[in-house]
Amino acid sequence: MNCEECQENLSVYLDGELDETLSMLVRTHLTLCMECAKLCEDFAVILDTCQTEPPSEIIPPNSQALWCRISNTLEGDIKPPVAEQPRGGWRFSFLQVGSAVLGVALISSLLTVVGIRNYFEPSGEDFTSRSAVTQTTFEKILSKVGLADTPFEARLRRMKEQESAISYWDNRVQAQRAKWDNKMRDAFDRNLNEINQTVNEYTMILQQNPDDDLSGEMLDSALNDKMNLLRDFSEL
Amino acid sequence: MIFNVINYSRCFLERKTTILLLLSVVFFFAPGDAAAQKKFSKTYPASQNVRLQLLNRSGTVTVEGWDRQEVSISAYLEAPAANVAPQSLSGTIYINLVKDNQGRGDVGSVNFTIRVPYDSKVDIETKVGNLNVSNIRGGFVRAHISSDGDITLTNIASGVVSAQNGIGNIFFDGEIQSGGNYRFTSMRGDINLRIPSNSAFRLVATAPSTRNINFGSFPGGNMRFGDGRRVVGQFGDGSATMTVTNQRGSIAFIRR
Repeated sequence: MNCEECQENLSVYLDGELDETLSMLVRTHLTLCMECAKLCEDFAVILDTCQTEPPSEIIPPNSQALWCRISNTLEGDIKPPVAEQPRGGWRFSFLQVGSAVLGVALISSLLTVVGIRNYFEPSGEDFTSRSAVTQTTFEKILSKVGLADTPFEARLRRMKEQESAISYWDNRVQAQRAKWDNKMRDAFDRNLNEINQTVNEYTMILQQNPDDDLSGEMLDSALNDKMNLLRDFSEL
Repeated sequence: MIFNVINYSRCFLERKTTILLLLSVVFFFAPGDAAAQKKFSKTYPASQNVRLQLLNRSGTVTVEGWDRQEVSISAYLEAPAANVAPQSLSGTIYINLVKDNQGRGDVGSVNFTIRVPYDSKVDIETKVGNLNVSNIRGGFVRAHISSDGDITLTNIASGVVSAQNGIGNIFFDGEIQSGGNYRFTSMRGDINLRIPSNSAFRLVATAPSTRNINFGSFPGGNMRFGDGRRVVGQFGDGSATMTVTNQRGSIAFIRR
């Protein structure tokens, strides 16, 4: 028996399951070959260790539970077969289809008209300075259903924002103005007074005629001027 | 007779002494005034299309275009003299007197005379004082006064021009470039625009308080006058855009 044959039969030999003739040949070879004898010894030690270790270290504490978890994980990874959709679920009458087509056509036309008007006639006006007179039908509808502000509401909202910004910059100016020289103070006061007069003028006009677009625009512009004047002087 | 001559000589001597005394008083105070006004000068080499960005506190700013590739800054500083620290960064000359004098209460006026190449972009601003710009044909000219002051823009050929002030006049004398944008805004004062008769632009001119919008010899046929507070219309093919707003003053167009 050569080394290769010996090593092939070594495991069975150690298990004691090899027939007598082969066992004798293996034994003879092991006595003659140091390499195979060493291998046999190592193998025997491994087998011995496996047999002598307590089963608790090899078998998990609850092997059944472990197998259940593994099984669940494997089942979870497998996608369930897709249920077949029932066919013919959408059934409409001719009237319903007609209404839907008409509705889509109407909305498309409306959007196209609005788009073309916006493209060819950019208003150039701030919505906040517009009145109900110049409001388009589409805007009126949006205002009625509460999806958009009316021009009056938009103007009030804008004015509120401007007044809050003016108040902020005014506080900063009041903190700084003591440091200014007389020339600077006079120029500031003169311009602020001019703007305030303008604001009062347009506020009065708008109280009498809320639909006066131009006065709304000028009031917006004057309030912006006031905000800019305060901001410019607050940094001095 | 001899007595009279002596008397006359004495009188002449007394007058001479008084005049000398007065002159010495004048000369004594004169150097004091000169010392109160400092001068600042600096010159920078300029690249093509250099940009000047100036923010002044008070004083007159004059910007002139010239045929040299350099920017020359001269400033007369009234007492108490302001700090002036111009900076040249990537093709832009920055002068910011607000930043340079932050926290200082009393700062004297600074009167600038700045010369820049013709093709420069000019962006000047002041809190109080006049702004003058002349001989510029760069990309844009912007002149902004926060409160009092006149704006004078002469011989301007820029595509974008913006002039805004509080109380004061605005005068523009220049060309209207095709596709350009021109904006003139004042709270109170006169806005006078001197432009070539063949200028082409869309116009929105608003003078709601005075309703004084005067086209002079320009044809007003394409204009919609409404109630007189705002005039909207077009000159020529209307390739440029012009917006003129004067809250409490007049607007006039003058043929160049």
